[in-house]
Amino acid sequence: MTETEFERRLSAAIREEMPPLRAPEELRQRVRAAIHNAATPTRWKRWGPYSNQTRWLALAASLALVALGGSAGYQVAARRAGEGALADQVLASHVRSLMPGHLTDVVSSDQHTVKPWFNGKLDYSPPVADFKAQGFPLIGGRLDYVGGRPVAALVYGRRQHVINVLLWPAIAGTAGPSDRTRQGYHLLHWTAGDYTCWVVSDLGLPELQEFAGLLRADQTRSSR
Amino acid sequence: MESSEVERFEAIVLPHLDAAYTLARYLTGNTEDAQDIVQDAALRAFKYFRGFRGTELGDGRAWLLTIVRNSVRTWRQRRHPESADTAFDEEQHSDGIAGDDPAVNLDRQETRARLGEALAQLPDEFREVIVLRDIQDLSYQVISEVIGAPEGTVMSRLHRARQRLRRMLVHGGKTGERSYDRD
Repeated sequence: MTETEFERRLSAAIREEMPPLRAPEELRQRVRAAIHNAATPTRWKRWGPYSNQTRWLALAASLALVALGGSAGYQVAARRAGEGALADQVLASHVRSLMPGHLTDVVSSDQHTVKPWFNGKLDYSPPVADFKAQGFPLIGGRLDYVGGRPVAALVYGRRQHVINVLLWPAIAGTAGPSDRTRQGYHLLHWTAGDYTCWVVSDLGLPELQEFAGLLRADQTRSSR
Repeated sequence: MESSEVERFEAIVLPHLDAAYTLARYLTGNTEDAQDIVQDAALRAFKYFRGFRGTELGDGRAWLLTIVRNSVRTWRQRRHPESADTAFDEEQHSDGIAGDDPAVNLDRQETRARLGEALAQLPDEFREVIVLRDIQDLSYQVISEVIGAPEGTVMSRLHRARQRLRRMLVHGGKTGERSYDRD
C-alpha cells in the first residue's frame, strides 16, 4: 500500500471510528443565555475595570445581603440563631446561580413574557410591570432562592445601572419602605399589596426611590 | 439593546456549534471542558462581532473554530503552564521519513479500537489538523484559516500526523490515559 493510499484509508477509518459530534442541547441553551446576557446590558460595561466574574460576585454579594434581610423579616429566630450561617448558605447559592450568564433566566422587556415565565416555577405569580416610559426598562427575570424559598427576581435597567427586584408573598401586613446602604449598594424594602419586596442597585438613592415608588404603586394597584 | 444584533449573530454562529463542540471535545478529551470552552468562545465571538457591526464576517464556521482553537490553547496553558513556553516546532516534530514501517491493517477491529487512543496522544498541533480534516471534513483552505498557517503547512502537518498515528498503531503498546468516549 502506498503512503498516499494508506493516508486515504486512515482518514476514512478515523472518520468511521470518530464521527463528528453533536453539541449537547444544554450547551446550546448555555450559549444562547450567555449571548443574551452579554447583549442586554451594554450599560454594565461602565461598572469599572472588573472582570465579569467580579461583577457577578459583587451582584451576588449584594443579593445575599438582600436575602439576609428578607429572611430576617419573617425568620427572626433563625436570624438570631445563625445569620452568619444563613448568609453563607445564601451567598453560596447565589454565587453559583449568578456565575457569568445567569443574571436572567428569561430575557424580555415584555412583562407579558416575563410574568407567565414564572408559571410552574413558583407557587405565586409575581406582579411584573415595565417602566420603560419612565426610564426603567424591564430587562428580564430569573428564579432565585432567598430566605429558604424560591423567589422571583426581576431585572430592570437605568442607564448603566442594573436594578434587581426580589419579591415574594408577604406573611402579613404592610411595612416600610425602608432603605439602607451596604458596600455601595442601596437596598429598599417594603411590604405592600401582598408582597414583600426588595430592591437593590448601585443607582443613586433618589432615583432608586423614584423607581420604588412606581413599583409600589403598581403592586398596590395589581393587588386590588 | 438590539435584538436584531443577537439574531444576526445567532444565525451566523449557532449553526456551527456542532463543529465547535466536535473540535473542543476531541482536543480537550472531555465533555465538560469542551462545553465550557465552546460557551466561552461563543461569548468572545459575540463581543468581537459587536465591534464589527455591519461588517461582512465571511465564514462563520472558520471564525468560530479559530476562537475555539485559541480557547483550547489558553485552557491547555492554564492546565500545563510548563508547556506554555514550548512553542510547537515543525522540525522537532517531523520525525524524519517513515520509510519502511510495517504494514498496518486498518480493517482489523483491534487496530481501529486503538485509533482514538492514538489520536488522543498526538500533540495538539497534529491532532487539530486530523480533527478538522478527517473528522470534520474541512477544506485545506478553511483549516489554514482556523490554525493561522499556510495551506502547505496544513498539508505537511497532516502528513506527519498520519505518520505518527501509523507508528502508534504499529507499536501498539504506547497508550496513555486519555481516550475518547463516543457521546
